[in-house]
Amino acid sequence: MVSYARNPHEVENSTRILVAKKDQIGYWLDLGLSPYSSAFAIQERILKARIKERVPSTVILQENFSLFTIGRTGSRSNILASADELQRLGIEVLEVNRGGDITYHGPGQLIVSPLLYLGDIDLNANQYLHRLEDVLINLLSTYGIRTNKKKDYPGVWWNQAKVGGVGIAVKHGYTFHGLSLNVNLDLAPFALINPCGVSQMPVTSLHEICGHEISMKEVKQRLHEILTKVFSRRFRDVSWNELQGVLVSGGT
Amino acid sequence: MNYDIVIPPTADGSAEVTIVSWLKEVGSSAKKGEDLAEASTEKITLYITAPVDGTLQEIYVQVGEKARVDQVVGVMTG
Repeated sequence: MVSYARNPHEVENSTRILVAKKDQIGYWLDLGLSPYSSAFAIQERILKARIKERVPSTVILQENFSLFTIGRTGSRSNILASADELQRLGIEVLEVNRGGDITYHGPGQLIVSPLLYLGDIDLNANQYLHRLEDVLINLLSTYGIRTNKKKDYPGVWWNQAKVGGVGIAVKHGYTFHGLSLNVNLDLAPFALINPCGVSQMPVTSLHEICGHEISMKEVKQRLHEILTKVFSRRFRDVSWNELQGVLVSGGT
Repeated sequence: MNYDIVIPPTADGSAEVTIVSWLKEVGSSAKKGEDLAEASTEKITLYITAPVDGTLQEIYVQVGEKARVDQVVGVMTG
């Protein structure tokens, strides 16, 4: 059993047990195509409520408008395009608090952020990170695609090309950020960066591997089934409006 | 009274992390549970939080330096 220091809000044990039981049914929040900043503001708000045990485990799904994000160990030196070129292409650059270096996000890429308590799933952060890779490998196998992990290069690889990434952050034992999967993503902007800080790293997508467009709705359904099994939790659909109501009534 | 600020045990015990930022300066106050610093492995960011309400007294591990899980990286008085 992985043990963690009690969270700072002094959640009573009895409350924690009660929430843990309720937590068997978590939330599945699909934000659809969203600006990164507003989607992340929502994630931070839910995270605060998670830390206070006011909401159960929550999985946030989103696609973003085109942007590069630079993680905590990243550097702008891995952007190969000029500021003018990025402006012309409408690609924003943001420094964010996940682990990792630079990557590209855009429509057609599914970003999944499970907000879980590591103590509840009995994993440490490294184990959890690798479990997210397993989730991607399982998901892709349902499409008949065999992928693998690569030593020293986190993420999921099809032949030599990266098809999915992982990068997490942990606060008081609660996880945020998560994984990304290139479904129907336009891969051209990856040529403007050294993805994950690696020069000329090949990237691919489900669309490219299968040779046809893939239903994002179908991908989400399959992911829902896999996450339910992997984390032994059911996740029910919740809208942001409904969840906001929960947060407001809980005072967060 | 002094309280140690430690790298949280959320990575595995052998993990080495790099301090990527201190979010508070020495001498500034923080509430228990408030973020003090960020530490990172290649793909994981860990938040180091205040163990008590108090003042950040000293930083032992600076930005860019490495530390191990459970290592004391600073001290607070509370």
